[in-house]
Amino acid sequence: MLMGLRYVLSALALQSELIPRGSRTFVFQRIFVVFLVLGTLVGIVVITYMLYTAYRYRDGEDRADDGVDRPTLGELPSVGSGGGGRKLLPSFTLSVVIVISLISWTYGTLLFVEEGPSAEESMEVQVEGYQFGWEFTYENGHTTDGVLRVPAGEPVRLRVTSADVFHNFGVPELKVKTDAIPGQRTDTWFVANETGNYTAQCYELCGAGHSYMTADVVVMEPDEYREWYANTSNSSSAS
Amino acid sequence: MSERRPPTDTDDGTAGESLPDDGTVGERVPDGGMTDGGTTDGGTAHSDRTFVSGEHDADGHAFPSTSEIRRWLVTTNHKDVGILYVVTSLFFLLLGGVLALLIRVQLWAPRAVGETILNPAAYNQAVSAHGLLMVFWFLSPFAFGFANYVVPLQIGAKDLAFPRLNALSYWLYLASGLLFAVSFFQGGTFAGGWTMYAPLNVPTFMPDVGASTAVLALVLFVTSVTVSSVNFITTIHRMRAEGLTLRNLPLFTWTILLTVWMMLFAFAALLAALLILSSDRLLGTTYFALESPGGSLLWTHLFWFFGHPEVYIVFFPALGVMAETFQTFTGRRIVGRKWFIAAMILVALQSFVVWMHHMFLTSINLQIKTLFMVTTIGISLPFDLMVFALIYTMIKGRIRFTTPFLFTFGALLLFIIGGITGVFLGAVVLDYEFRGTYWVVAHFHYVMVGGVTALVGGLYYWFPKMTGRMYDEFLGKLHFGLYFVGFNLLYFPMFVAWQTPRRVFDYAPGLAPWHKLATIGGFVLAASFVVMFYNLTKSAFAGDPAEDNPWAYSTTAEWAIPSPPPLENFPGVPTYRDGTLSFRSDAPQLTAEADGGTAVGSTSSATPPAAYDAAREAHDEPASHASIWPLALSVGMFVLFFGLSGLRGGSFVSGAMGAVYLASSAVGGAVTFGSLLLWALEPFDAPAGGFGEAWPFAGVENGKVGMWVFLASDVVLFGGVIGAYVFTRVAFGWTGWEPIPTDPIPGLLNTYILLTSSFTVVLALVAAEKRSRMGVVASLVATFLLGVGFLVNKGIEWQHLFHEGLWLSTNVRSSTFFLTTGLHAAHVIVGLLITLFLVARAWRGAYLDDSQTVEYFGLYWHFVDIVWLFLFPLFYIL
Ligand code: HEM
Ligand SMILES: [Cu+2]
Ligand SMILES: [Cu+2]
Repeated sequence: MLMGLRYVLSALALQSELIPRGSRTFVFQRIFVVFLVLGTLVGIVVITYMLYTAYRYRDGEDRADDGVDRPTLGELPSVGSGGGGRKLLPSFTLSVVIVISLISWTYGTLLFVEEGPSAEESMEVQVEGYQFGWEFTYENGHTTDGVLRVPAGEPVRLRVTSADVFHNFGVPELKVKTDAIPGQRTDTWFVANETGNYTAQCYELCGAGHSYMTADVVVMEPDEYREWYANTSNSSSAS
Repeated sequence: MSERRPPTDTDDGTAGESLPDDGTVGERVPDGGMTDGGTTDGGTAHSDRTFVSGEHDADGHAFPSTSEIRRWLVTTNHKDVGILYVVTSLFFLLLGGVLALLIRVQLWAPRAVGETILNPAAYNQAVSAHGLLMVFWFLSPFAFGFANYVVPLQIGAKDLAFPRLNALSYWLYLASGLLFAVSFFQGGTFAGGWTMYAPLNVPTFMPDVGASTAVLALVLFVTSVTVSSVNFITTIHRMRAEGLTLRNLPLFTWTILLTVWMMLFAFAALLAALLILSSDRLLGTTYFALESPGGSLLWTHLFWFFGHPEVYIVFFPALGVMAETFQTFTGRRIVGRKWFIAAMILVALQSFVVWMHHMFLTSINLQIKTLFMVTTIGISLPFDLMVFALIYTMIKGRIRFTTPFLFTFGALLLFIIGGITGVFLGAVVLDYEFRGTYWVVAHFHYVMVGGVTALVGGLYYWFPKMTGRMYDEFLGKLHFGLYFVGFNLLYFPMFVAWQTPRRVFDYAPGLAPWHKLATIGGFVLAASFVVMFYNLTKSAFAGDPAEDNPWAYSTTAEWAIPSPPPLENFPGVPTYRDGTLSFRSDAPQLTAEADGGTAVGSTSSATPPAAYDAAREAHDEPASHASIWPLALSVGMFVLFFGLSGLRGGSFVSGAMGAVYLASSAVGGAVTFGSLLLWALEPFDAPAGGFGEAWPFAGVENGKVGMWVFLASDVVLFGGVIGAYVFTRVAFGWTGWEPIPTDPIPGLLNTYILLTSSFTVVLALVAAEKRSRMGVVASLVATFLLGVGFLVNKGIEWQHLFHEGLWLSTNVRSSTFFLTTGLHAAHVIVGLLITLFLVARAWRGAYLDDSQTVEYFGLYWHFVDIVWLFLFPLFYIL
């Protein structure tokens, strides 16, 4: 069932322009903005209505007895009827429709993100967290500590694990994040479109050095990167 | 497992007293006036009327007045316990709040190395302790203060089903909180976040003794919660006034009912997690060790299986307060009540199938992510309905913005913001980026502290009922103003600065202005509580006397009786037979005390509802509302657990402290054991249920319902531990895992022994029903001997394994074997202790007129046997 749904949705996702696809920064921004706009709108409507209703039906000396059947002490809840329920189901239905369509819409992107780039079109780096730093191993076996170098515009797949406790590897600007779990491997990917220096950060409390558990992510011109990569070998270095 | 003592207090105390040869029971109870009403002069009891006006219980024997400290140490009355809960939880709010302010001060600016105010380790402790204290020791107990006070009043009960167990819940809660406080001074408390992820939580990475103490404090807390859940479930199901069917239950009671059911199962899962963690920390098992296959993930599953329902456990009572106050202060009945209740039931059920949404970034696969995304969205929808129902309830109302309503109205507003920002997290692609950031921190504070906001409204709402005095309305409004501004100033900037990683104090400098705002907001919020404490303390002693019903349009029964209510609550037996509340005045000893001031009339009836007072008629000896044993037992467990915290890898830490821990364990163990024994021998009245509505347990006595419910939680406990074994084994490779005992014969033998012992328990019951004293004694002795045989056989087996070099810490296979079967053996030992007690009493002729105790014990014993039937194949054969 789930699998069937998945294929239908993947097919839809592939055809439709509606589903954000691209770098992870792009898809995040797209979806986040839509959620933010809609969320703010719904919030404002609901809260305004709530405040208005509260104001409109406030008690006061000038309020005449409006003939409404009020609750009395000691009554059973089922004795009087609540009334006013006519609006309840329509508003509930509306909110259900909004939430479900929003989430289904993002599901297409989730499929895209989960799929990730293929092995041919991307490079792979092993990431290992430890208390308190990050070690990166490239495909040729070259290992660096604290600095990850990647070419701009090319997808990078990360295989993340931990040497000791539970960590979480994330680069906020590149919108990539995944758990680093001892004994487990988690996979994620990203594309950095602009060259420059970024910071990777640990997102799971891992001990006294957690706040400072960072690494540099250096996004280089592809040519420059290839030149650097060609000079590395199966050894460790600090850069 | 002795702390999970089955609830049997209706019977132990009353069963033997009517027998002439059992007169020694009374002598066994130490003097001091705690348990014997005759030692205190009844004339002094009325001297103080500040809190509770009816110090005399209906039997006419005295009970210390509320101005005496002694009253608060021995009380088992639900209203006293409720007040104790509220006051104590506010104390923990202060503690957690001070830590929160420390965190906020640290976050005033990004702190590079050497620029910190708290050092990194201290910061981690502050964050972790803040989270644990607020969620466990403040939020839920605060709500349960009201639950204790109000639920029996709303349903028309005199007290909870097991008053002494209720007092025990409170004292265990206090003991656990104090134990947690002690942990700060044992090298440092737990520092791995309130989620306590593995393997950071084991001694390899967190060696401080205080971290073990914090875990043990949680175990003690969970014990308190379990006892409390059993008690409330039994009470709410069995002790409702006539006509108060579940459909007609007030909404606050509904939320508590659903909360305790969720608690029962969720906390049992947490207990499994904590027992395994304690065993890793104290005994040296290796479930969560770095080398353990799947240890990290195992913890996340166990924790979040508890953790997500916990979100609703802390929120539901707040929802109940909102529903009650919205109805009262708008003067409207809630819109779509049926749907509201249905939505809550749906949430309560679904809360157990969403836990993996906290694990979207672990290695779980897309199918599972999709499934949990769907359940998560599913569980958020019923809340939309509840929010709309509350909003529409205001239509055509006469809304009065009195302090309680200001708070609950504000709470709804905060909850809407919390809910909308939660939908963001339900979209998995967004969650990938929000996880571990201040978006999550802001979101859960809007929801959880939003809940606190409603509960503060509840505090103002019920304050006149609880104290008999009115709070100061102006100061109440001032509190709300400061609170609401402070709250939003504190948490809203966290959404804006969401890129800040959680539990980190060295953040991007550009975010500093937002964090500064938040810190200022934190102090404004703190200041608002100063106003509240001043107002409520002063008003409790010098406020204007409150009317019985200070709020127009309130409907529930607590407002139909004096403020504060007399000890026995109602001027007669409450009933809704005619569709509205009335008190049947045919219970003679109650009418004598009836207070004329109630708004609701009394009717009389020809059929006395015997069950309402049944417990009292069961025997002639005086018994009272007081018992010192809940307190004594909790002191014992506090000392015991403090001692146990000094264990590491199965032996006490070296040096002088090691001796202290050892002595503390011994003393604590002795006090615990002694109090349990004296508790069991104390005569005590527990109110019987079944005088009105009791669906679905109409034909079953309270004690049996309590035992069933307790066993249900025990099923989940074993489920968690066995699940941990299966999970670890799958991660290890199912087939590559060889059973630890190479020889299954001792296990098989033990299977036969246990089955036979179940049979002898049945014989004991039959003998009791046939009134054969020797039959009862002989069958129980046989049970005892069989149980001992089981343990001896197991001891020999374990000794063999030990000599083969297999022990708890050898590897994860041996860890799971010894811990799981050890937990079962602990259940057997508890069973044998109870058997010994039963034998001693049966020898004197107890249980012949009243075989219930034997029957309840039988339920427990059969359950322990059934567990073994699962363990044997899992650990010996497969
Ligand atoms: C009153 C009810 C409150 C509850 C139930 C609550 C709950 C929590 C929880 C569960 C955590 C997570 C701890 C962890 O990451 O392990 C937390 C963190 C935090 N809380 Fe509260 N809290 C409350 C009040 C406050 C107040 C009054 C403040 C500020 C004055 C505050 C500020 C914070 C901060 C700054 C964090 C740290 C976030 C992080 O670094 O991850 N909280 N709270
Ligand atoms: Cu970390
Ligand atoms: Cu959750």
